Amino acid sequence: MSDPSTVEVDQYLPHPPAKVWRALTDSDLLARWLMPNDFAPVPGHRFTFHTDPRPGQDFDGTVHCEVLDLDPPHRLSWAWRGGRLDTVVSWTLVAEGRGTRLFLAHTGFDPDDPVQRRTRDLLGGGWRSHVLTRLNHLLTTP
Amino acid sequence: MSDPAPVEPRPGAGDIFAALANPTRRELLRLLLDQGEQPVQRLADHFAMRRPSLSEHLRVLKDAGLVVEHPVGRQRLYSLRPEPLREVAEWLGPYERFWRGRLAELRDVLAELPDE
Repeated sequence: MSDPSTVEVDQYLPHPPAKVWRALTDSDLLARWLMPNDFAPVPGHRFTFHTDPRPGQDFDGTVHCEVLDLDPPHRLSWAWRGGRLDTVVSWTLVAEGRGTRLFLAHTGFDPDDPVQRRTRDLLGGGWRSHVLTRLNHLLTTP
Repeated sequence: MSDPAPVEPRPGAGDIFAALANPTRRELLRLLLDQGEQPVQRLADHFAMRRPSLSEHLRVLKDAGLVVEHPVGRQRLYSLRPEPLREVAEWLGPYERFWRGRLAELRDVLAELPDE
């Protein structure tokens, strides 16, 4: 998979899906690993994440979001808009052994964005997703 | 939010990108990553090309600092040296890096969180 409009990341977490779900849907917990927010687990709820502005990228530091889909403890998706982005962040939780595999798909990027295009030109196909994903793991594991 | 300006590779990175531009060399790196250190003979089993051509590819990877070889008895063992690839990993889209970083934080938050 190397759809240029999508960023996909997955992570095994040694905790049951219900606990992972809490960390994804409790506003305070979410703030601890993502950003300060006024999230509520209610379909249609509009909320924001706050971070540092990046004036060079037309980004004022606020990500405008909306809960699009909520199916505890399996699926959660948010609209994610800010700066030049009008995207969707989707989480999928799958029980795996005694833990959870958490899949993230961040979709709706502009494939003609220069950064996206360069990355695609450099490392096409499965090599990027397979090797670099494993490599990233290797590099971040002590 | 980590949404930085496009990251330009630092000087010297060109060697790495040139090394990665070739599918045989990428496959060699994949084999070394998946199967660990191994002699050139075992790597050669995966390719139809002649040994000298394969050795040339390994030399390019070695020059780029991506593989190291060391002799054991009469064999030369090759292994992956992943550090230079950090450069490439950092060159992925900023959002991929952003989310990988956030997921690492999530892992830490969960580790501190009681089960109920």
